[in-house]
This record gives sequence, C-alpha cells and structure tokens, in this order.
Amino acid sequence: MTKHRFLIAATLAAAVSAAAGAASAASNIAGPVGVPVTGHAVTFCTTGSLTNGTTVFDLGVLTDTTTGELKNNIAPVSKTLNGAICNTASTINVAAQPMTAQSFTIAPPSGFSRSVDYTATASGWTTTPAVYETSQTTNGGATQSRNSAFSGPITVTLSGFSTTGGSTLRLVSDPNYLGAIVVTLAAGN
Amino acid sequence: MRHSLSIAALTLSLAFAATQAVASVSPVTTTQSVTVNGSVAEVCVLGSPNPPSIDLGQMAATSGERVGKLGTISDHSVNLPDAFCNYPGTQISVAATALVEQDESTTPSGFSKAVNFTANVSGWTSSAASVTTAAAADGSNATSHSAGAEENAPQTANLTLTLTNFTAPGDGVLVAGSYNGLVTITLGPDGGN
Repeated sequence: MTKHRFLIAATLAAAVSAAAGAASAASNIAGPVGVPVTGHAVTFCTTGSLTNGTTVFDLGVLTDTTTGELKNNIAPVSKTLNGAICNTASTINVAAQPMTAQSFTIAPPSGFSRSVDYTATASGWTTTPAVYETSQTTNGGATQSRNSAFSGPITVTLSGFSTTGGSTLRLVSDPNYLGAIVVTLAAGN
Repeated sequence: MRHSLSIAALTLSLAFAATQAVASVSPVTTTQSVTVNGSVAEVCVLGSPNPPSIDLGQMAATSGERVGKLGTISDHSVNLPDAFCNYPGTQISVAATALVEQDESTTPSGFSKAVNFTANVSGWTSSAASVTTAAAADGSNATSHSAGAEENAPQTANLTLTLTNFTAPGDGVLVAGSYNGLVTITLGPDGGN
C-alpha cells in the first residue's frame, strides 16, 4: 500500500510537469488542470459471532419416556449473532435441516419415525424475520431483504418441534439426532 | 513527447488496478452455521393388562369320578395393548409362579397344594414366549422363567397373555384353601432379564 501511494504521487507530479511544459509553448498561463480523486468502500457483510461462542443447540432427551413420543415443550434458548454488519442493501437467508437419527439410518418400522422437524427463525435484521420450516418443501419466507446498510444482532430461534410423519409416531432410540441451521447474509437485494 | 507516453502508460495501469479491486469485493456473502442436536433414550412400555387379574374360581371338581381333583379349567387371556420398544434387540421374558395354597401344613400323600399352568405371551415375535410351571405337590419350586425370541426392530404391538394347560402335580386331590399364582411379563433388551 505504501508503495502504491508513492507511485501515484510521483505520477501526478509528472503529469503537472508535462502539462506545464506543453502549455508554455503556447501561452503564459497554464491550467486549469483537473485532478480527479476517486475511491471506493469495499462492499461487505459479516454475520458476526454467536454470543456465548457455542454453535450447538443441545436439546437433550427429545422424548417423553412414558409414551416414547416427542416432548411437547421443547423450547431451546435462542442464540444471538452479535456484530452482524452489511454496509449496503442486503438479504438474509435462513435454511435448516430436520434433526435425524445418526445411527439408526434405515427406514423406521411402522409406527416410528427417525426425524424431527422444526422452525428456524432469524429475526432482527429485517422487519419480517426470515423463517424456515423443515417440514415444508418450499419456504418462501426464508429470504428477506432490506434496502439499507445495517448493523445489529440477529436472533436465531428454534420452535415448533414435531415428529416427521405425525405426532402419534414414536421416535426410534438414537444417541444423536442432528440438524443444522445456516444463516446467510448477502450484499445486494 | 517522452513525458506524454509515460503519463498514458501510467494512467492505464491505474485504471486497470482500480477495476481489479472493485471486481474482487462485490458481492459479499457470509454465513453462520449452527447445529441442533438431541437424543432419544431406549424405552419399552407395556400397556396395562386387561383384565388386571384372573380368578379361576373353584378349581376342584365337586362331583364325578374326579371329585376333589382339578376340574376342567378353560384357557384365560389377558390383553396388554400398545406395548412398544423404540430400539431393536428386544425380547419378552415371562416368569410364572404356579397357583399355590399358602397353608404351611405338610401336604399328605395323594394331595396337592399347587396347580401348574402354561403362560404364553404372543404378539411380540412370530413365536410366543412360553413357560410352564413345575411346582411340586407341596408347592415348592413354584416359579419358572422363559424368554422369547429377539425382535430386531423397534416395534409397537398388542400382546396377549394366555394361560392354558392347568394341571395338579401327580393329579392329586387339591388341598382346600386359597390358591395364588403370578405371571410377570418383562419387555426389554435381549438378555437383559
């Protein structure tokens, strides 16, 4: 960077000198000489980092052990992305995958399921939060736009947990049901 | 003239550098990934038995050539609805205790204070879990155990307990009194009972 500045300064000096030299042949007045000054700000977005540093929603045991069915009170504490910034108009997108049994990978028998759906919501960036329901094949609300630069926290909330295939299905035992949520900020809208 | 050439060349190179810089920074996309995990514990549940108990009533014949001995006792069934295990590798275990009269007196020869039976639990695997008690006439050795086949998938099933094949040791005359037996059904991991 230092080297570039030196070259530009030297170039401008040479340009003025050359113009003066050219003008002196026709007039005793030189100039005016226009020197354009330009620059740019790099377009960027960053999602920041999670408040407590962990990127895992750990829900513990998912089922009611007396019925074998999904608990109806799963409500994990939200996570916050702090330091999110876009210096131009932007879009936010949230995508999620159902929680699936990682060891029990075959098709579950009749009456059982190996998957849990839920709704992932990213709020705070746009007036209407970005919402993704893993039970739906299309999620029209997953991408939201804003027309201005912005900085502020993004809250990621999981809700609406349900057994894939129906609430009367029981979940097969598995030590690890795993899902994933991805929040994307993109410059431009 | 020499100066002019230098300026033109330098101006071109600056413009090129600026174009490169803009192209490399826009648009910008950034992502943050979060995972969500949980677990599902191994669970087996047996439905409540219906009926919850079996009363065989008067077991001894009160007339005819078998008077005093065990009469004909029909089969009895108990339903255990909506049993399930959410993991593979499970089996039914059955412990059956013969009906025994609890009087502590010695059992005279030719008499019996026990009634044996066979307990079948069907519905979990293609073959029922079955056990037959083998109590002695004095009521000793009343309890027997058995386990069914392994079920290799999570399963929901309606189970049926059936009591059949009632017999008295040595076909002895039943000692008068109250007889009590028990069938205990366990659904759990194979080999765990």
